[in-house]
Amino acid sequence: MDSSVHLDNVVMRFGDFTAVQQMDLKIESGEFFSFLGPSGCGKTTILNMVSGFLEPSEGVVRIGGQDMKGVPANKRPTSMIFQNLALFPLMSVAENIEFGLEVRGVSRAERKKVSDRLLELVALEGSGNKKVSELSGGQKQRIAIARALAVEPQVLLLDEPLSALDLKLRQHMRTELKEIQRKTGITFIYITHDQGEALTMSDRVAVMSAGKLQQVADPISLYQSPHTPFVASFVGENNTISGKVIECRAGEAVIDAGLLGQFAGRVLNPIEVGTQATLFIRPESLQLGQGADFELVTTLSEVNFEGSYLTLSSQAGETPLNIQLRANQYQEDMVAGRHQILSFRAQDAIIMAGEADDV
Amino acid sequence: MFNQLKARFGGPLSVGIMALIAVWLIGMVILPQLLMVDYSFKPNLLPSEVGGLKDQYTLDNYATLFGNSIHLSIFFKTIWSSVLVTTLTLFVSYPLAFYLAKVATPKQAALCLLLLIIPFWINEILRTFSWYIILAYKGPLNALLLGLGLIDRPVRFLSGDGGVLIGMVYAYILFMIFPIYNAIDSLDSNQVKAARNLGAGWVRTHYRIIIPHAKPGIATGCIMTFMLAAGSYAVPALLGSPGSRWFTQIIYNWFFEGGDWNQGAAYAFLLLIICIGFIGLVMKVFKVGLGDIAR
Repeated sequence: MDSSVHLDNVVMRFGDFTAVQQMDLKIESGEFFSFLGPSGCGKTTILNMVSGFLEPSEGVVRIGGQDMKGVPANKRPTSMIFQNLALFPLMSVAENIEFGLEVRGVSRAERKKVSDRLLELVALEGSGNKKVSELSGGQKQRIAIARALAVEPQVLLLDEPLSALDLKLRQHMRTELKEIQRKTGITFIYITHDQGEALTMSDRVAVMSAGKLQQVADPISLYQSPHTPFVASFVGENNTISGKVIECRAGEAVIDAGLLGQFAGRVLNPIEVGTQATLFIRPESLQLGQGADFELVTTLSEVNFEGSYLTLSSQAGETPLNIQLRANQYQEDMVAGRHQILSFRAQDAIIMAGEADDV
Repeated sequence: MFNQLKARFGGPLSVGIMALIAVWLIGMVILPQLLMVDYSFKPNLLPSEVGGLKDQYTLDNYATLFGNSIHLSIFFKTIWSSVLVTTLTLFVSYPLAFYLAKVATPKQAALCLLLLIIPFWINEILRTFSWYIILAYKGPLNALLLGLGLIDRPVRFLSGDGGVLIGMVYAYILFMIFPIYNAIDSLDSNQVKAARNLGAGWVRTHYRIIIPHAKPGIATGCIMTFMLAAGSYAVPALLGSPGSRWFTQIIYNWFFEGGDWNQGAAYAFLLLIICIGFIGLVMKVFKVGLGDIAR
């Protein structure tokens, strides 16, 4: 069954405010697709347009090739998992799961079968008669998933459903969501501001900022080859060195960063000599000591131990640089004020036009 | 409680506060009621007979009602009409309360509430009189309906129960709207969205999600409206014709025209007891507990 979602040149305006700028995006059938962006970037608006709670100001939403214009929320083949889950507190767990079927006039016996099967899927067999308030956070989460799946949607919409859970549970639920998606083959559209969630679960991620689509890519390309300064600094950590472009070759450019020196890096979007540009280098791509293509002389200002790794904050002139090391690379003499040389390879750096502060 | 007061205000002041509360509660609430209970069980005597042989407790005053078929029919008509008033008020108020709580923008809701409240700054008698004018045989409502061609001849709104019903629905609408509004307002909007998302139409969303959530508010509104309607005096006195008398008017007559306070007190208590019993029954039927209402 075709359960693709096509946002065909969709625009959403609220009065003078444009919440979602023109966007043409096709989410494939059976894909786990995430929208990643800071709060207020318009990602929830997209979810509301797909689910039918909002009609786009312009453009068309197609689900499975069908134009959804004028189709009310209760007639769309979508199912939503809300941020606060929105389980019905006055109904039992089974009634919650069966609600969508009750609406569709499915017989009691048939409903019971479905809710039993779904309770098994989410590993909560025998909890059907419990009250919602008797469940723990993670259990409620799973009931919300079961309730959404009961109506056999073509598209499951998830609005930051894991944000209220503690870290351990969140990591566990990620695996479970992924597993359920694999088992059911339903298209998942996942909304989050947590890049970890987006990167670990998704087939593809769309990064959004201020109502605009920044980049759509699979998690690895997104991390390794960000196309805009916003993506480079929003997805994962990045150090920035600003300078002027002095040389351009195929897929590579060189910037002059004044006192720090001259550095080369990969170029993904065409850039011209003379423009102001920013070099992005990941903390884990910086190495202690000489050895790589380019060197930076820095002063260590802070050491943060994070468990499996440690972060060294340092300064090269006015430019702050963070380095990430494995915990076993820690040395006793890593104290504030120490001078150290860092180096990186040109292939690990990316040069983009514009200032990093623009984002 | 006294220790808390003492900690806050000191001994003498606390004693003063407690004494005032005691005077108010005992002297102005409990004793007068007890006096009325006492009255209701005694025959109506001349001052000279008080304390005499005839001055004995009896159930005669209570029995009077059941021997008087006219009073009895008015009694039940009052209960029935109050049920009708409550139902009508509920039907008018629920959509309005839902609109205020979930549909209207804050500005619209504020305006709407203001429009609802302003008329209640005016005395109840005056408000009822204004309905008297509106509903009159040659009044503006008849003129409007005639002008629109909806009726051929004026309707006598004030001759039956119609005027009383309209007047009461209007008089008690706020007591119904506010509890329901508060209840619906506290409902998470995502619950409504979730129901819609799972395929529920508006009717089902209301009776499966919103009404169950608002039930305590609906119960509170219904109880208040019912009690106020059953105990109403001004509206039936002004808008009702002699053919649609209210039981409160009979109680009034016993007290102030018959001069028989004992009989009046007995009638008043009968009304109170039946009303409480009726409410208890309704609460049982709709599975609403006292705790729900206090919420």
